[in-house]
Amino acid sequence: MKMRIAGLCAAALGLLAAAGCGVQSTVQEVRQAQTDLGDGAIVILSRKHKTQGETEDGFVTCVSDSVNSGDDALRVLAARDFMDATFPWFEPRTAPLDMNDLTRVINQPLLTERIQQIGVRYLVWIEGTTQRSDESGSLQCTLVSGGIPACFGFLSWENGSDYEASVWDVHRGMNVGTLSSEASGTSFVPAVVVPLPFIARVQQKACDKLSDQIKGFLGPTA
Amino acid sequence: MSFPDRLASGAAVALIGSACLVAGCKGGASVTVDIRVPRPLVEPLDVRMGVYFDDALKGYVHQEELEDHGTYSIDIGASQAPVFAQVFDAMFDSVVPMTVEAIPNEAATAAEDEDAEGEAEEEAGEEKADGEETQLVFRTADAVGTPVDGILVPSIEEVQFAIPDQTGGEFYEVWIRYQLALFDADGQPLGEWPLIGYGKANQRNYGTIDQKTTGLNEATIWALRDAAALLSFQFRDQTQVKAWLATTHGGAP
Repeated sequence: MKMRIAGLCAAALGLLAAAGCGVQSTVQEVRQAQTDLGDGAIVILSRKHKTQGETEDGFVTCVSDSVNSGDDALRVLAARDFMDATFPWFEPRTAPLDMNDLTRVINQPLLTERIQQIGVRYLVWIEGTTQRSDESGSLQCTLVSGGIPACFGFLSWENGSDYEASVWDVHRGMNVGTLSSEASGTSFVPAVVVPLPFIARVQQKACDKLSDQIKGFLGPTA
Repeated sequence: MSFPDRLASGAAVALIGSACLVAGCKGGASVTVDIRVPRPLVEPLDVRMGVYFDDALKGYVHQEELEDHGTYSIDIGASQAPVFAQVFDAMFDSVVPMTVEAIPNEAATAAEDEDAEGEAEEEAGEEKADGEETQLVFRTADAVGTPVDGILVPSIEEVQFAIPDQTGGEFYEVWIRYQLALFDADGQPLGEWPLIGYGKANQRNYGTIDQKTTGLNEATIWALRDAAALLSFQFRDQTQVKAWLATTHGGAP
């Protein structure tokens, strides 16, 4: 009998995991011009001038590392290294915000020379965030007999990632395309004595998808 | 942040919270920022600029008690001279470190006479010490007495900061308000203008433990970089600077 109950519980949790932890993702791509990275490098940056909705540093690092690894890796220069090399032209309050700004900036002789030295051809500006919403349920933890901690309850929430990347060609001073990656999923934590977290890793999914898009967009097969 | 991280953070918060209940605490943070900035990529002006960093600048520490949030200390003194030296070195053809001496007015007049004989020294402003009127006289720090076209003296007027617990926002924010004073080759004040560096750091990028220290530290670093960036861009656009450049040899902006 006990074996049957345990089996039913395991099956129920399995169903919950299958139903709740699935991550749905959508990607979109708009190409405005052909690209030719050659042996050049790209830089993946986030906008830092906004007062809210700033992209997480961890996401930018994730995309940079992912694009910079694997068989189809592209050469990626770390954002901070690029900002240091081009100081003070790409600081949070001085970085170009549009094509007019970019054209003005890259026509500065010292900067043009430096960008050629470090071999950067494309800038990928990432905007967007991951948000948690629709939290419901509750989880209570207490000490039961013998001083053993135990938790009971059920907690769930929605996670949504929504990121967009604009690809700028610093040689030609133009926007060559826009890529976007959205992912959403439900996470939950049922607890009968021991809490069992089933987490929808939407940000990781969005990172993987956006990285693949960038590789496809700028890679040799583009 | 992953769930294990959240659990770890939650445990840390619970632990800290318990400790606060027992001992009583309001948080607070203390940061010491000692950074260098990269050399700015700007065309240097064809001038020989004297620069002077006083002890107040080099030892600047901002301390503030925030009601319900504890005592905060931001020590930025050690970064000042290296940051300004790096920026000035890129902005001007040559940079000459200066010293300053506060001397009584009569002596200052004598010093001016010596100046007329070719010795490099400049007077700047007046101040009262112990009721007696004194004058600040700049001298080049080297033994040669290298002549200069002008003298720049940065100072910190004010530092402000904000934490997410106060504002309800996501950011640790730091503002550093500098005052830049420009003197001509004879030490006469030409004018001064403010320079405000702003930096912020998103609390979402840091874990719960040490978030205040890390966030404030990062925001302060960005504020210093911002000030350095704006200084290197905006110096030649200042009205006083334009007028001074027009009268200085080869110093067209």
